[in-house]
Amino acid sequence: MSILAYNGGAMVAMKGDKCVSIASDKRFGIQAQTIATNFQKIFEMGPHLYVGLPGLATDTQTVMEKLRFRKNLYELKENRPMSPKVFSAMLSNMLYENRFGPFFVEPIVAGLDPGTYEPYICNMDLIGCPNQPNDFVVGGTASSQLFGMCESLWEPNLGPDDLFETTSQALINAFDRDAISGWGAVVYIIEKDKVTVRDLKTRMD
Amino acid sequence: MALAEICGMSDFDTFRREAPFDNEIAKMSNNFTHNTLLSVPPYSNPAENLAYFSKDESGRDIKIKFDHGTTTLGFMYKGGVVLAVDSRATGGQFIGSQTMKKIVEINDFLLGTLAGGAADCVYWDRVLAKQCRMYELRNRERISVAAASKLMANMVYNYKGMGLSMGMMLAGWDKRGPQLYYVDSEGTRTPGKVFSVGSGSIYAFGVLDSGYKWDLTDEEAYDLGRRSIYHATHRDAYSGGIVRVYHMKPTGWVHIDNNDCMDLHYKYQDEKLQEINKV
Amino acid sequence: MALLHSENRPNYPDYATAPTQHHFSPYADNGGSVVAIAGDDFVVIGADTRLSAGFSIYTRDQNKLFRLSDTTVLGCSGCWCDTLTLTRILSARMQMYQQEHNKTMATPACAQMLSTMLYYKRFFPYYISNILVGLDNEGKGCIYSYDPIGHCEKTTYRAGGSAGALLQPLLDNQIGLKNMQNVKDSKLTLERAAAIIKDVFISAAERDIFTGDNILINIITKDGIKEDSFQLRKD
Repeated sequence: MSILAYNGGAMVAMKGDKCVSIASDKRFGIQAQTIATNFQKIFEMGPHLYVGLPGLATDTQTVMEKLRFRKNLYELKENRPMSPKVFSAMLSNMLYENRFGPFFVEPIVAGLDPGTYEPYICNMDLIGCPNQPNDFVVGGTASSQLFGMCESLWEPNLGPDDLFETTSQALINAFDRDAISGWGAVVYIIEKDKVTVRDLKTRMD
Repeated sequence: MALAEICGMSDFDTFRREAPFDNEIAKMSNNFTHNTLLSVPPYSNPAENLAYFSKDESGRDIKIKFDHGTTTLGFMYKGGVVLAVDSRATGGQFIGSQTMKKIVEINDFLLGTLAGGAADCVYWDRVLAKQCRMYELRNRERISVAAASKLMANMVYNYKGMGLSMGMMLAGWDKRGPQLYYVDSEGTRTPGKVFSVGSGSIYAFGVLDSGYKWDLTDEEAYDLGRRSIYHATHRDAYSGGIVRVYHMKPTGWVHIDNNDCMDLHYKYQDEKLQEINKV
Repeated sequence: MALLHSENRPNYPDYATAPTQHHFSPYADNGGSVVAIAGDDFVVIGADTRLSAGFSIYTRDQNKLFRLSDTTVLGCSGCWCDTLTLTRILSARMQMYQQEHNKTMATPACAQMLSTMLYYKRFFPYYISNILVGLDNEGKGCIYSYDPIGHCEKTTYRAGGSAGALLQPLLDNQIGLKNMQNVKDSKLTLERAAAIIKDVFISAAERDIFTGDNILINIITKDGIKEDSFQLRKD
């Protein structure tokens, strides 16, 4: 079993019309055993900047702490908010610093540019190869299921409500076919004026 | 010519053999006629050596993922035997099915549960069902559960070490009363009162053992089985789907009900909240 | 004494004492996906036509649907050589049944036979993901899906093969109406089933490199089997 699949987890982020979504499951498990069903994998890094870290749970938390530290230092030095693009570049560099002893996370960044409010999504592999597509990114143990769901549900220029529905349906149906992710889900819809966080009612097996 | 015969050359005479392809079809599906004889692999020790075939010519992984079934339980109480099972089949981490039938109705007075390799369990249960029917026809009486479980144990024992994976319970009602046996692919066969088998069994036992007593009413017994399986599906990733409950009575087995784990979860949670609100 | 220590001994690979082990690899993954959807009086099965090995494509025009009778079709993906052997034996068995009983084998019987034949090779399995479809004795559409060693389950929709994991959750959602609230369980029509099959294959071809080129669709109704095909992306 891959170490990336040791704790399990599923994550997806989508671009919409002037909004982005990022969603993940809430399971923390050790292989087959479910330890907790309220585990946070998506972290707020700024008013319009969120990062999701699916993979090995210990590295999820370590990478999150390191990122927060570097981001805060940047914002103190520069006295301006960090844009998602810069954040991704920083994350990518940080992961590549550990090229030969990597953190076992496959991060997803979602947010709006602080100046233009342009939607931005990005994912990378565990050593920081970035990918910034125009539609959606997926990660975690249910990634092939998510690819199938997103590829047919996603369409361009979804409004915030439709984006929420699309993201939740893609996530829930994908992890219902994956044994080691699920047990509750959380969806963030990031718009210019507000960020909506919603918990989803899902299967708990 | 005499020398050839002394050396047994006539046996090797290819021209004297009957047409070589004549019985190929029969050979490629020999278990139709001889149920317990499976094809011999072209290598020794299949349990270990099959793993070496995990790459194709281009070095890509070949994943032969068998469906695996999981949490099952059975217990005897004053009203007979209750069996409860989940319904998830996983191939690796992928959930192949959420609606698998893990209780096999062998005949009106015999039920088998399956855990481990799904194909292994279903195939051998089918062979067992045939043998039980043959016994009935020959002896004009139903086979005892002890005998049926022994037939099963002996059949799979012949394949011990070859990689079969099954842990099953046989529940029945014969002239000696209600019976519950555990049989597995290692050759274990043992009667008992309370069993739980599969990867979720540790969680199921936790609930089952704390709620079990001989004098349960029927409804209490069904609920105990259901709750035990539900709690196992909640904690164990490889169990889930629906909870099926069966009851073995003197008149034969009865299928009690099926409940979706999602409905059970929110029902039990509501009950828990009401408990708290009362206090 | 120190001279005899093995750490100091230079390593000459040609004179290595441990024998190198080589293992025979009898299996190949030739890719391909199969999707089937059943309704009340029909069943639709589709398979892509790409036959590949690793990153090379053997052919863009390989039919993976096998007609076992006028009401039964088998879709196979996985190791192509195993598929050829299995379908050869299957059709021979179908013929033997026909001649012995003077009637065609029904789909449920055929499903059981396939399971038994797969299990026969329990210790050296056929590396195939099979989906058998047809009409049952009442004329209802039915689908049987298998694991490599013959565990069989009857369903009403199924995706198998290299893009099985991508497509199955989509079918759960669109046909099984999983995780949908306040939706009416309206009866599935043949047109909708065929449209869904086309849609899911387009999605699969986007993300799965072993699926593409064309899809062949067989539509089975009481009037017989109708064929249809559809172009997919070819890269």
